[in-house]
Amino acid sequence: MKRILSLILAVLMIVGMFAGCSSKTESWKVTCPWAPSGVAAMVSQKAAAKSTEHSDSITLVAEAIKGDAATVNTWVADTEANDPELVFVGEGLLSITSIIDPAKMQFSYDDFVFVENLYSSIFVLSADAKLNIKSLADLEAYVAKGEEISVAVNGATSSEAFLAAALFGSMGAGAQLKLTPYQSAAEAAQAVAKGETKFAVSHQTQILETYQQGSVSIVCAFDEKAIEDGPFAGVEGVGEHGYPYFRNCCFVMARKGTDEQKITELKNLYDEILKDEEVSTWLNDTMLLEADTMSTEDVQAHIENVQNIVNQYKDVVVG
Amino acid sequence: MKDMIERVDTRLDCWGEKLSKKNIRYPADLVTGILFLVVSVVILMIMPQQVAISEKDVVNGREFPKLLMYVMMAASAVLILKEGYKIVTKKPLEMKTLNLLVEVKALIIMLILLGTYFIAKVTDLFVVGAVFCCLAFLVYFRCRKKSYYAITLTLAVAIWAAFRFILGVNF
Amino acid sequence: MDMLQFIGPASGLLFTLENIIWINLGVFIGSVFAAIPGLSVILCVILFLPVTYTMSAVPGMMFLLGIYCAGGYGGSVSAILINTPGTPHAAATMMDGHPLSQQGRTKAALKIALYASTFGGIFSALMLLFLGPQVAKISAKLGTAEYFMVCLFGMTIIAGVSGKSMIKGIIAACFGLLLSCVGSDPMTSYDRFTFGVSRLYLGLDLAVCLIGLFALVEIIAKAEKKHSELNMHASKISKDDGKITKDEYKRMVRPVVLSSLIGSMVGIVPGTGASEASWFSYNTAKNMSKHKEEFGKGSVEGIAAAEAANNAVTGATLIPLLTLGIPGDGVVAIMLSALMINGLNPGLSLFTTDGDIMYAIMLGLILVNIFMFIQGKFLTSLFAKVVAIPQQILTPIIVIFCFAGAYSVNNNYFDLSVALVFGLMAWLMRKLELPAVPVLLGMVLGNMTETNFRRALLISNGSPSIFFSSVFCWIFIGLIAIVVFSIIRSKIKETRAAKTATQEVSSNG
Repeated sequence: MKRILSLILAVLMIVGMFAGCSSKTESWKVTCPWAPSGVAAMVSQKAAAKSTEHSDSITLVAEAIKGDAATVNTWVADTEANDPELVFVGEGLLSITSIIDPAKMQFSYDDFVFVENLYSSIFVLSADAKLNIKSLADLEAYVAKGEEISVAVNGATSSEAFLAAALFGSMGAGAQLKLTPYQSAAEAAQAVAKGETKFAVSHQTQILETYQQGSVSIVCAFDEKAIEDGPFAGVEGVGEHGYPYFRNCCFVMARKGTDEQKITELKNLYDEILKDEEVSTWLNDTMLLEADTMSTEDVQAHIENVQNIVNQYKDVVVG
Repeated sequence: MKDMIERVDTRLDCWGEKLSKKNIRYPADLVTGILFLVVSVVILMIMPQQVAISEKDVVNGREFPKLLMYVMMAASAVLILKEGYKIVTKKPLEMKTLNLLVEVKALIIMLILLGTYFIAKVTDLFVVGAVFCCLAFLVYFRCRKKSYYAITLTLAVAIWAAFRFILGVNF
Repeated sequence: MDMLQFIGPASGLLFTLENIIWINLGVFIGSVFAAIPGLSVILCVILFLPVTYTMSAVPGMMFLLGIYCAGGYGGSVSAILINTPGTPHAAATMMDGHPLSQQGRTKAALKIALYASTFGGIFSALMLLFLGPQVAKISAKLGTAEYFMVCLFGMTIIAGVSGKSMIKGIIAACFGLLLSCVGSDPMTSYDRFTFGVSRLYLGLDLAVCLIGLFALVEIIAKAEKKHSELNMHASKISKDDGKITKDEYKRMVRPVVLSSLIGSMVGIVPGTGASEASWFSYNTAKNMSKHKEEFGKGSVEGIAAAEAANNAVTGATLIPLLTLGIPGDGVVAIMLSALMINGLNPGLSLFTTDGDIMYAIMLGLILVNIFMFIQGKFLTSLFAKVVAIPQQILTPIIVIFCFAGAYSVNNNYFDLSVALVFGLMAWLMRKLELPAVPVLLGMVLGNMTETNFRRALLISNGSPSIFFSSVFCWIFIGLIAIVVFSIIRSKIKETRAAKTATQEVSSNG
């Protein structure tokens, strides 16, 4: 038994080493600093699985280490230009943490080179079905009554918290707003169904099941226009009514100083993957996300937009 | 070589013999009470610097640890009072004995663990620390069997290789 | 949902050679991973998740479920053999598993753990199959206040694991609860007790602390033994026939059934997990046992209770996942992503659109537990041989496993230093006769207790009436009252017995 086990181990090691030496492809590790079961980690896994189909020279390896700023701090400290390492950052880190809790971040946007935006997600505001709020007009009428507005969000200073603050703050109801933070997006989405809060801000997938069971109604989407496809098609966008909003993005970044050619190669690979029919169908139908490729200018604009919202409504969120 | 090892062993045994006779007795409950009373007071004192709060909070981030420290203080006070009462009434205290030989041996083991950690960290190669760990423990246990050295070192390298190449842990 | 309509096609999907191979592979990997301190089940699932990318939903889920269920059992192996729980939820098993092993009954201890784990696993799998949607609807009604009550009920366990002095147990538990506060405040995201150390923002990882509290301190404790006393006596090892007596089987029945029920109930509540379940069950079994004095000294009931409960959690956590799309714990959350990568968005609607897949997964859980039992039967004798390995070899190997495990949690050396600090702390605690288990319990329950307490008061605008607002709250209040009453009663009894004994000694003298 012992001999067999040792033999298996030795063979595995030799095979592994030879595989490593003879491989022509370069592995790029993609670190997702959020929950391994979260939306970003899932999309990263899907992209990694598809990378070998679309490139002979680059293989993406997805890794999720929950830790947000702390994970990115470590990543920045441990990597150098041209290291085959990529990391995800979003507006949460670049626009929210950098203003609310800058001490937590030992990096800035300048430490990275932008590769591609993986997706953009439109958050939705759901309400307790008993309130019968199904549109922004209903919501405005409800807010006008002056009642307390309790909103479940995933994390006290998350994107969801700032979207809620921006919407109700711009309606002049910042003082009535009570944000109730939960430790996961699923928990926050469930809070309305349990009657703990009147509203919740969440990803569309996270509220879908509760919505289908009739416990919540969907009030609006945090986007310019109404949602076009999927189970929430027709839900009006807050942008149409002049309220501030932003989408949740997921930027793939390399370490500053990495060869431009390599960056272009990676960007092309991601673009190919996002164009893949299977991936785009999966993103649209299952994840209720949009493939949304961006330029560096788009990224800067997105960061600035969120920063403006954070600066304007940070008092509503953190007091 | 053999003679030298035996001479070292004899000397170590001699020291061990002397140390094993040295004991320190201390009132465990009283020490626990005083120690954790101090810990709770210190935590309460540093709380304002260590825990930032917002005025919006219904129950802020200091309340729960504060509550814990009050409970810890109360429990520590009970321990101190119990032992204090025993001193006043001249009843025997809860005593514990420290054997100096055991503590010195424990210190050596801790140093081996620390050494393993530092070597692995400084070299950034876990396997070097693992090899040191094996050798240090085998020497500590005064192991003379060459086969044990061979088995342990092979296993150490194999564990590292399994983590490194099969599980992809980069160390 | 018509179950009978889907059972046929589901069986067709499930009973394939491919699935059987993946189940067995998952079970083997899960058992080995969980048996190594520091290598948690969640880490194992994360590492092997990419393997499922190329598979369809059923074999992928079978592989992950194999890891998950076997991980529940595997943690007990190291708890029994080396007094170090391989995973946090095996800590309760360690209380009696290792003492029984020390008595030369390692195989028996491993067998009890396996039998109880299998029963617990199958019990919860049947619950998932027959009562899933109904139970999920009830659990969905449990809110923040009820969760807090569950935590408060969990705190009553401290009395049972405090050893000689409950006061010291309370101090240790407070310390553990305080340690759980380190890191980002879950309600505000502000840092607490990080002392400017950026790595502490994330808090202290339970698996890493466990290595220090239980594994490294055992290594340091080798100092207490003479070189000649280090290895277990050969006669003890050779006598270990793994026999469990009829009386022991009889005594196992009640704790196993009850713990399976407790484990299933705890598993249904999202956010709670196998650790809480095993401690709740261990405590209940102890309170209900006719042989309370055996607990902590190698009680078969103790091992059976803890193991049945932590495996009963596995099926139960799938109930909210498959019926409501809510992952009950971290491992199940990753399974959710495995399903979603396959284009399946879990929820009741999936039972109509993809009922065959849903029922194949539920039936598969039973199959996973059966294969876990079969593999366990073979592996028990292999695992039991670990106690015969000379300490000169075993000690450094355990240290290397612990360090490698601690490193791989977050891929950094900082966690190793945390484990070392906890090892030193546990050694000092031993010198003060301060029990380590309440520290662990505090760390397990701390975050959940505080978050739910604060969130409940936030929801009620500071009014404590929220804790008395539902039937479920009152049920927990009743349970807490019963436990507190029985603790006080047993303490009074103990004091009286001690007084009588002292009087008898003095009158005889």
